[in-house]
Amino acid sequence: MSRLMPATPVARALLRSPLFAALALALAWELAVRGLAISPRYLPALSAVLRDAWSVWPQLFASFNRTLLETLLGFAAGAAFGCLAGITFSYARLMERAVFPLFVVSQTVPVVAFGALIVIWFGNSLLAKVVTAFFLTFFPVTVNTLHGLASCDPQRIALMRSFGARGPVMFFKLALPSALPQILVGLRLGIGLSLVGSIVGEWFGETLGLGVMLIEAMNSDQIVRIWVVIVACGLMGALLYSVLTLIERKIIWWRAES
Amino acid sequence: MSQLLAQSAAAAAAAVPPGAADAGMPAAEHPPPAPAAPALLELVNVWKRFGDAPRQMVAVTNVNLKIAPGEFVTLVGPSGCGKSTLFNMIAGLLAPDSDGSVLFGGAAQRDGQLLGKVSFMPQRDLLFPWRTVLDNAILALEVEGVPRRAARQRAEAMLPEFGLTGFGKHYPHQLSGGMRQRVALMRTFLFERDLLLLDEPFGALDALTRTRMQHWLLDLWTRHRRTVLFITHDIDEAIYLGDRVLVMTARPGTVKSEQRIDLPRPRDPAIVTAPEFVRIKRRLLDEIEEESRKSFLQEESRA
Repeated sequence: MSRLMPATPVARALLRSPLFAALALALAWELAVRGLAISPRYLPALSAVLRDAWSVWPQLFASFNRTLLETLLGFAAGAAFGCLAGITFSYARLMERAVFPLFVVSQTVPVVAFGALIVIWFGNSLLAKVVTAFFLTFFPVTVNTLHGLASCDPQRIALMRSFGARGPVMFFKLALPSALPQILVGLRLGIGLSLVGSIVGEWFGETLGLGVMLIEAMNSDQIVRIWVVIVACGLMGALLYSVLTLIERKIIWWRAES
Repeated sequence: MSQLLAQSAAAAAAAVPPGAADAGMPAAEHPPPAPAAPALLELVNVWKRFGDAPRQMVAVTNVNLKIAPGEFVTLVGPSGCGKSTLFNMIAGLLAPDSDGSVLFGGAAQRDGQLLGKVSFMPQRDLLFPWRTVLDNAILALEVEGVPRRAARQRAEAMLPEFGLTGFGKHYPHQLSGGMRQRVALMRTFLFERDLLLLDEPFGALDALTRTRMQHWLLDLWTRHRRTVLFITHDIDEAIYLGDRVLVMTARPGTVKSEQRIDLPRPRDPAIVTAPEFVRIKRRLLDEIEEESRKSFLQEESRA
């Protein structure tokens, strides 16, 4: 085992990094397609996908940015609303009983059916895509915020009460910090769903975006182009997720140790 | 008041098996402190029952006790005897049943009125992992509204006394068990109230660390002279620390007897081998033994 592991720490860190895994996957992809002579219909070579991406670079770049914007706006709105809803539910049990079931029902509505409504309500605007992304984001954030606040250590609550703490003091000094790790779990779930939401939203009418490129490629049977969009979506997802992980490490660094 | 006492006497007679009814304030070795000094804390016929009639669980029955200002009282009893329930009631976290009352500084305390009046330290250190040592120590001060900077300065000045010099900026996970416990104690001390309520603070520590911490706590107490009620299940600890040791019975818990400890202060840790210490310990052990035998017999006769 030790002979297989590179000796220097730098090499070992490289081996463990996600970048290395991605490169290994890319290499395996390329080699498998060439070596096994897979038909491009099932799986085009990565090099072919990259070449195709380069040929439509301006459109791809603009679409990427547009979808990223929709995703970020939808995510921000969903995260903010989800946190607020979770906090409200945890402090107003009556609200939880009355409204939370509606939240659950809302998530059982297929997002495609919802998308049609969104177009009727908001037209072909940026807002329409943001709302679709929002629709998929807020639920996991709500659930995890609620759960995080509910699982606050009762003995810590008792300690704070014995100091005379109530209301906002209790919330900001104890409940919120101890719920943060769980809230971050909700945000991680939300960011991926938000991307799905904005892409699906674009299917209902738009001229720019990764979702648009995907629909066009499917309609004109451009298999390689579909793969271009898939790789682009994957990159965006990875980017968003890693930014979130960085933020998490900054604000809840204590979690790893306790 | 007299009506209340009459009621409580009736309640005690009705609910407690014969022989245990007069256990509230037994004949002590020495007379109780002169009534001239008003008690800081007084419990009169305190009960706590959980659940309803058929499956009711009585955690604490008929507890009467008085603690004078500046006194160090230890409460010893087997685990599960309702010590923590009693503690939560004194901290104001749990309301006693309506047939008894808790008096603080001579005034009866209703539900929740004790919150914020007693420095309470639970068994677990309960440090917040996202706060540094210093910020954990000033938690109660922050709740009280003391500006953070002023609070930090006060805490900073106390670090040496708690053996935490240079650790102010450390986080709880970087500390040993004994140090974490000292941070928790410092947090309790900084919440300056007349009564310190310590619930087995050294229970989770290894024997050597515990001895050191006990010695250190006595030192601290000698300098600050706060009133302390200290719960433990360790008889040695109870005798070594206390002016008085209260013995609690197994569930339903009540204060069975009290023992005044006249060992001279300051006490050296080696005092645990002194004949006087051993004599007291034997007497307390006998009492606890008798108690457990009694409850054992009760259970057998019921079966």
